[in-house]
Amino acid sequence: MKTIPPPCPEPEVGPKYWRSLDQLAEKPEFRQWMEREFQAGASLAPEGEARRDWIKLMSASFMLAGLGGFATGCRRPEEHLTPFAKQPEGYVHGKAQHYATAMPTRGSAVALVAKSHDGRPVKLEGNGLLPGSNGGTDAFTQASLLNLYDPDRAYRHTKAGADVKIEAVRDLLTETGRKFAANGGEGLIFLAERSSSPTRARLQEELAQKFPKSKWFVHEAVDFAVSNQALSVLYGADVQPDYQLENARRILSLDCDFLGTEAEAYRLIRGYAKGRKPAKDAMNRLYAVESLMTITGGNADHRLRVRPTDVVRVAAQVGVAVLELLNEGGELASTLKSLSAGTPANPQWVAACAKDLVSQKGNAVVLAGYTQPLAVHLIAHALNQVLKAVGPVVSVIKSSEARNDGTIADCVSALQAGADALIILGGNPVYDAPADLDFSAAARKAKTVIRWGYYEDETSQMASWNLSATHFLESWGDARTANGTVVPIQPLIEPLFAGLTDIELLARLAGIDKPLPLDLVKTTFGTDEAAWRRFLHDGFQEGSAPKSLEASTAQLGKATTLLAAYRAPASSDFDVVLHRGASVDDGRFNNNGWQQEAPDPITKVTWENVILVSIATARELGIADAANASDGQYRQPVLKIALGNRVVEGPVWVQPGLADKTIGLALGYGRKVTGRVGRGSGFDAFPLFLKDSRHIATGAKVSKVAGRRLVAVTQEHGLMEGRPVIREANLAQFEAKPDFAKHMDLEAHFPHYVPFKAESDGRNVDKRPQNIYEHPYDQNPSTVSKIHQWGMVIDLTSCVGCNACVVACQSENNIPIVGKDQVARGREMHWMRIDRYYSHDPKSELGSDAAAEDPQMAVQPMLCQHCESAPCESVCPVNATVHDDEGLNVMAYNRCIGTRYCANNCPYKVRRFNFFDYNKRETDYASAQSQHFFNFGNLYKGPFGQNRNEAPEWEIVKLVRNPDVSVRMRGVMEKCSFCVQRVEQAKISRKVEVGNSGDVAVRDGDIRTACQQACPAEAITFGNVLDPESAVSKLKHDPRNYSVLGFLDTRPRVTYLARIRNPNTEIVDAKIEGRSGPDSLRDYERHRHENPFESGHGDAHGEQKHSATPVQKGAA
Amino acid sequence: MATAATAAGHGAGKMGSLDPLNAPPVLKIYDPPKELEREPLVLNNRSLGWITDTIAGICEKPMPAWWWPAFIFSAGGMMMMFSLVAYLISTGVGVWGLNQPADWAWDITNFVFWIGIGHAGTLISAVLFLLRQKWRTSINRSAEAMTLFAVACAGIFPVVHTGRVWFALYPGFLIPVPNANAIWPQFLSPLLWDVFAVSTYGTVSLLFWYVGLIPDLATLRDRAKTLLRKFGYGLFALGWTNSNRHWSNYEKAYLIFAGLSTPLVLSVHSIVSFDFAVSQVPGWHTTIFPPYFVAGAIFSGFGMVLTLLIPLRSLFNLHDIITKRHIELMCKVILATGSIVGYAYGMEFFIAWYGGSPYELYAFKNRAFGPYAWAYWSMITCNVISPHLFWSRTLRMTPIIVWCVSIVVNIGMWFERFVIIVTSLHRDYLPSSWGYFTPTWVDVFTFVGSFGLFMTLFLLFIRFLPAIAISEVKAVTPQADPHHPQGGAKGRH
Repeated sequence: MKTIPPPCPEPEVGPKYWRSLDQLAEKPEFRQWMEREFQAGASLAPEGEARRDWIKLMSASFMLAGLGGFATGCRRPEEHLTPFAKQPEGYVHGKAQHYATAMPTRGSAVALVAKSHDGRPVKLEGNGLLPGSNGGTDAFTQASLLNLYDPDRAYRHTKAGADVKIEAVRDLLTETGRKFAANGGEGLIFLAERSSSPTRARLQEELAQKFPKSKWFVHEAVDFAVSNQALSVLYGADVQPDYQLENARRILSLDCDFLGTEAEAYRLIRGYAKGRKPAKDAMNRLYAVESLMTITGGNADHRLRVRPTDVVRVAAQVGVAVLELLNEGGELASTLKSLSAGTPANPQWVAACAKDLVSQKGNAVVLAGYTQPLAVHLIAHALNQVLKAVGPVVSVIKSSEARNDGTIADCVSALQAGADALIILGGNPVYDAPADLDFSAAARKAKTVIRWGYYEDETSQMASWNLSATHFLESWGDARTANGTVVPIQPLIEPLFAGLTDIELLARLAGIDKPLPLDLVKTTFGTDEAAWRRFLHDGFQEGSAPKSLEASTAQLGKATTLLAAYRAPASSDFDVVLHRGASVDDGRFNNNGWQQEAPDPITKVTWENVILVSIATARELGIADAANASDGQYRQPVLKIALGNRVVEGPVWVQPGLADKTIGLALGYGRKVTGRVGRGSGFDAFPLFLKDSRHIATGAKVSKVAGRRLVAVTQEHGLMEGRPVIREANLAQFEAKPDFAKHMDLEAHFPHYVPFKAESDGRNVDKRPQNIYEHPYDQNPSTVSKIHQWGMVIDLTSCVGCNACVVACQSENNIPIVGKDQVARGREMHWMRIDRYYSHDPKSELGSDAAAEDPQMAVQPMLCQHCESAPCESVCPVNATVHDDEGLNVMAYNRCIGTRYCANNCPYKVRRFNFFDYNKRETDYASAQSQHFFNFGNLYKGPFGQNRNEAPEWEIVKLVRNPDVSVRMRGVMEKCSFCVQRVEQAKISRKVEVGNSGDVAVRDGDIRTACQQACPAEAITFGNVLDPESAVSKLKHDPRNYSVLGFLDTRPRVTYLARIRNPNTEIVDAKIEGRSGPDSLRDYERHRHENPFESGHGDAHGEQKHSATPVQKGAA
Repeated sequence: MATAATAAGHGAGKMGSLDPLNAPPVLKIYDPPKELEREPLVLNNRSLGWITDTIAGICEKPMPAWWWPAFIFSAGGMMMMFSLVAYLISTGVGVWGLNQPADWAWDITNFVFWIGIGHAGTLISAVLFLLRQKWRTSINRSAEAMTLFAVACAGIFPVVHTGRVWFALYPGFLIPVPNANAIWPQFLSPLLWDVFAVSTYGTVSLLFWYVGLIPDLATLRDRAKTLLRKFGYGLFALGWTNSNRHWSNYEKAYLIFAGLSTPLVLSVHSIVSFDFAVSQVPGWHTTIFPPYFVAGAIFSGFGMVLTLLIPLRSLFNLHDIITKRHIELMCKVILATGSIVGYAYGMEFFIAWYGGSPYELYAFKNRAFGPYAWAYWSMITCNVISPHLFWSRTLRMTPIIVWCVSIVVNIGMWFERFVIIVTSLHRDYLPSSWGYFTPTWVDVFTFVGSFGLFMTLFLLFIRFLPAIAISEVKAVTPQADPHHPQGGAKGRH
């Protein structure tokens, strides 16, 4: 058959190629020659001798054709190994490289070390070199990596919706700059996110000079700057606080979730945890006055539940008491006295708290939360002044942020006055501006709206130009951390979608010719090349932090005047608190699957926000049964919150510990224009976010709406049921009996306590009962490594439950996102989870219901415990989960057939099964629940569904995978591996390092698991338990050390240090009488009728009473 | 067993030579001696020829009108199950309602349910054979067939419930073969024991059933009117010629298989119970499980035998062969095993309290009063209360009531496995991981479809094979007893 090859498409533009001059001339002879299949002479039959040759030739070619066809059919797709034309310095194929960089945040930055594999960043870690840093980060930082590879990010520049090339964008910027240079910037308005970048500040200064009439406004929906403003009032200059909480012995939080959603929470957690070592006079004490139930309240030693509008009254009341105790009366005291009128707080509580703060004068600090008005911050900073906290705990430093001309409200008035061009630098004001400003209508008045953003979102829709922003891992830049240290932002990858950095944008506007971001940053930094290299290497500029201001320069008078003018809002109807979403921030992480799936630290709700109400309020509204989902499906009633004619609707969540008549709404959900991940997640709370009330709205009306909505939670049961899963005691109890944790649960009752046989080799330092079966290691001692035995200790006193480890683990170990529908079915894949338990004392006078309103909370990171005698291993029929010689319980994914028996037999329920091919799931509608009986939502549907893996967008999603960890297919069980890839890398490095010397034991601290690394509280310690000097061994000898469910004799390698609370003995918490120990301990006593502090209890059965029995003698 | 041979010989050999027109329709009756005054196992003094004609006639005549709709309906169910299994394997186990913490639910419930049903067949054919319970002969063939079909249904679930079925069936994973990686299966795992136990049980049951079929297959071969039937039955009759040597070998083989099967009756369900008993899940970790599971299996197995045989008996007019006495005796077994099961339920609670483990105690409290209390009390109603109706002889002798109770028993036994598996798993040690299991439509219809498979096989069985052991029934007629006035080679028949 004659085949005519299709004509080769010629590019419409660009050079034309021709084979010969004939083709160029389009001669008919050439056309004929082209169209003939066989060239002249080819169709002539051969004759004579040639016939034989012809037959030979043909047979050979048929054979070859057959072979070739066969061989071609079997071939793998052709791949080219292209060597580097120029080998990059220090590059070893397959070996990760690390670069110092930073993630810019609101007016600050997180200094980072990014791990890169073959030019592809795959993991972010905090920069431990930075003074005072331990390398810990928060969940947002960990998840920001996924944003880089988000297929839904703004991948193009557009003009009126049509794609334009970056060259056109550059021209536009230059043109705009030129145009406004002519009129001094008349009608040029900037609306930017907060930034701490010195380069940006420099360029902003240049712009201000060039366009003196232009205006620069700053907008952040969740703006932490209110604290800076209050401090600036006191110091009469633009200053910001920087906290060294490690020096604080007493902390009072005024609605400040500094362990959770507050700015720089990871740094505050670090300080808080450092100051929380259970020892007399060394352990800090945390008082929390709050309206919502937050991580901070949950960790507090004393928590006072008040309505958000009453926080200022309680703050004033505490202020009065403190000033009284310090004999500092004056105008401030009287102002505060009048402000405290109508306070709901128990005076005894306040008096005891104030006394405690004053007793630790110099080491006591008061923190105020961003949701609270300026007045509360003024009180907090004033109290810090009088408590002499400034200096030891609070540093007051000059603000590094560039000046601005006002807020978004000013921007809107400027726009309404008429503007030529509005340049929006980041942020999403159409979505998150105060609703009563009607920003989008105002913005439409500008002739041109140029928007530089990371996503095509609500704001993009009204912008005439949309410029795609780079990720911080794609761009050069700089920033300042909270204490003002300059850190570099250096790219690890070329911009994936030809994005633009903000500094390049500003530089072009400023008329700088060919502004390369690198040069711009270098110009700011200076010319010292050696210092520059050091800057990039260390990830910070030493000594760049500004000096702290003297405390004496503060003037309380101005604060007093402002406070005197302040009228505390009267509460009416319901108060609404609009807070930063713990997972999606103000919406900027809305399209981030890791964050969407990371459960809220308190409610454990994923993929959406809920309307939080207290138990009493729920009862009042007639929806108290909503808390009870005995069938595991939380189909929540829907509430309507109305503030005037602004209405928000969403599923309700009954939250113990919430203030009555208070509604908590997380911001950042319900986006109208977002990527495929965030679509359909939650409801938009911004309609209630108004320019005057901002985070706290009063006078809301709440009503029930018909229907129910499914809410996906990762933890359905919040009580420990008297089981000593988390073992806690008060500091005084701990001091009386430091090893109380060992005397709880059933292991305290075993008849014979014998010292663990292998104590000498350090495998397990706890005293253990003898099992009727031989310990697996004793069966075959030759296979047990004498060099390394890995173990982990988690300090429950330090851990606050911030989720950083959960997301870090997800990032490190390629853990798939499963989507809301699957979470609702109980199939989340997190290898590491944070269990959150409430406890309340049902014996209290108030009865269990009222007591449950003020619960105590405790959190416990739960991961594979790497049991020495692992229940999962013996039940796996195919030997897919086995022990290695260094004490790891390892999964052989290739071997696993997925019987799930191991998961059933795991007492800690840490094994996770791939019920579907989650790695091939569609990104679409991840958050939407399955709408249809036959629809399993967002899953790979096997041969019956379209395989979205073939879609090109998956090529980019795949890039986030850590190449050191395999990606699991469906039908396979998975679980925490103790980051075995990190362990092995460290061992290999050590072997290379020591050569033939044979000292191959990895140095303590060389291996940090992903969770440990990310933990800002340093609650997780991993290491070699064979080495008695290792940190983990020492902690295993801590008297607080215990194993969860130790009586099962699974001998977990992960052990926990009991949680110690440090309550004030003078205080009777809230309204609950007789809280003498942690509620969970009292609950345990009530269930088990025993108390670890009773003399001799628990330890009695073994060591003391029966110490003379023959068994004991024999074993000893 | 010479009498059996003689009787069967009469049936298979001599029947053809008799002139049916001159044969007396009913034999003359002599009063049996006192010691034989029991109700005979075949009523109405049916002749041996009648027995052969009646039983062989079922699979020789065209099937009655109800058979075809029943078959189409069952085959439809079977096809539905296989389609859903294909969906499951192609898409993922997630199409079922399983979750964390309930990683097993309907899959293993169905497996244990079907395996349990299988127990009655082997018990009837082997244990009752060794105990010389002659009444077994009327029911053992169909009970054994039921066993095989139940094992077939049971075998499907543990295979397809795995995440990667293709590896589960691949040699070297579950099937121990030496391989290059020198990895063996984990011999400590009860799931592996299950593989051996169930496959052994299935194989032995099949052989036992087949051996018992040989003389009857020969009868069918000899009665066959078409070449195809002659060939088909002849092929499987293995050249049976009814010779004394054949009978002698046959009896020996049958006895050996009965001996082999008897321990299997106890072992299979004991091993299945180890899936739970060997684990450390509160509510599973119980030493009472092996005996209690075996009793429960016999309980449910007899329930299923009654569910099948009571309609069969009416539809094919087999009242004289499967008599009310048979039904009554089976009811007694149900009463006995049901009481054992009820005792075990009580004892579990006692031990949970007496054992002193709060985790164990909670598991049982949660069973009875937790979110799955409805399942627990359904189970108690069906399994503990309903069998006690059989203390009344009147009720035992009323087939329709017995049939209803037998169905209730099977529902109850399904719930028993569901309760054990799901209520134990859904709330174990750490309250943070507590959850709830809800089945999906795929769960439900796969289980329903497994009844389609079971019934399809059973309907094919009665279509093509003698549903009652002809030779064995003849051996227990009075005529086969040489000491009986009607029996022996006395030439009176």
